[in-house]
Amino acid sequence: MKVNTCMPLAAAALCILAGCNLAGLSGALPSGLNSEHVTLAAKSARAVSVASRPISDSEEYYVGRAVAARILATYPLLRNSRLTEYVNLVGRTVALNSEKPNTYGGYHFAVLDSSEINAFACPGGTILITKGMVRAVRTEDELAAVLAHEVAHINHRDGIDAISKSRWTEALTIIGTETAKTYGSSDVARLTGIFEGSIDDVFKTLVVNGYGRGQEEDADRTSLGYLARAGYDPKALESFLSRLSVTGRGSSGGMMKTHPATSDRLENVRSSMPGSAADPVMEKARSARFAESTSF
Amino acid sequence: MRTISILLILPVFLVCAGLLHAAETVRVITKENAVRQQCKFYSPVRAKVRYNDPLTVLSRSGDWYKVSFRGVSGCIHKSALASGTYRLSGTLGGRGGGASADEVSLAGKGFNPQVEAAYKGRNPGLGYRSVDEIERYQAPDETFQAFLGKGGLTTP
Repeated sequence: MKVNTCMPLAAAALCILAGCNLAGLSGALPSGLNSEHVTLAAKSARAVSVASRPISDSEEYYVGRAVAARILATYPLLRNSRLTEYVNLVGRTVALNSEKPNTYGGYHFAVLDSSEINAFACPGGTILITKGMVRAVRTEDELAAVLAHEVAHINHRDGIDAISKSRWTEALTIIGTETAKTYGSSDVARLTGIFEGSIDDVFKTLVVNGYGRGQEEDADRTSLGYLARAGYDPKALESFLSRLSVTGRGSSGGMMKTHPATSDRLENVRSSMPGSAADPVMEKARSARFAESTSF
Repeated sequence: MRTISILLILPVFLVCAGLLHAAETVRVITKENAVRQQCKFYSPVRAKVRYNDPLTVLSRSGDWYKVSFRGVSGCIHKSALASGTYRLSGTLGGRGGGASADEVSLAGKGFNPQVEAAYKGRNPGLGYRSVDEIERYQAPDETFQAFLGKGGLTTP
């Protein structure tokens, strides 16, 4: 009897430690262990890992889609094929030089038809930048710097972190430990309510309150590395912020509302600047195509 | 005595060999991806792969895996992959990708298309059509390669 109680526990402990699939080992069981023990152990192990698991990459993708859909309900999409292609090429270059070049749904970049100077990193990989921001940057390297900053927010999961812990804990009690992919109608209604609340949390952070100062500074520091690896001039972030600190004075909307004072960001960026410098000839070539692609 | 020892050790050896063999399979953890001719992001595509497709690992080269999929071999970046099995891969030197194997087991759970559909139903004014349009857009690899070259830029 003692053996019967202990065996599944021992097997579960082994399973957690080794990350193994005990069900797959059922053909070679030691004496005292039967298939029921194995199933129970596997379920217990899965329950332990699921009970405290973070939001998965695919769940992050669905949160990001909903956040983008909410932003796009306020800011219309700018349909300019040349500009869309250009922003995607610049964005893809910095994203591929990040620590996570692949996300579940991939990176996507689009321009919003708004004069406000702003950019939004939706969880999972969709980055929306306003027409006002495209006009505020002066070179391809500055545009890359803005996009790299947003890619860093995605990789740091800053948007997802805005979801309240209690909301996610409640979601996990519904999601449970079973492997079923479809839910009953009452579970869907509850999960949808939690999903809706989660989107509110992320939306408020992205559009209304902004990220924390530490998150912004981390994103700035990280983006410098992406720019340097890609071959862009990391100093472009500094030049953009310097100009913004002058032109943004007196403005209270858009990025100025949701980002910390640019003077603080500038200090952080200057102290973290990598030593590498971009090729000036290539920089000129990039500036020429920037002027061509952004003349709208 | 020696015969008994061999009889005891042999099954253990065979089980271990099987487990090590299983660790050489990885799974795709992105919605879609590509096995490419060379280990570069814009290299020509040899095979398209989808979430949870199993790939056999042939070798590793930096952040890239050389894999085989349905008779086609090529490269795929580690950030698109996770360990394909739960069989002791962590303790026996299994080569997981950039994400944990849990990503595979969580497929379709929690916030999934079913929840998204219900959310859309409750909020018909949201811009999901524009989101789909944004996600559909993809600049061709050749355009991307030319863009990098003309701008003096690089990717891993």
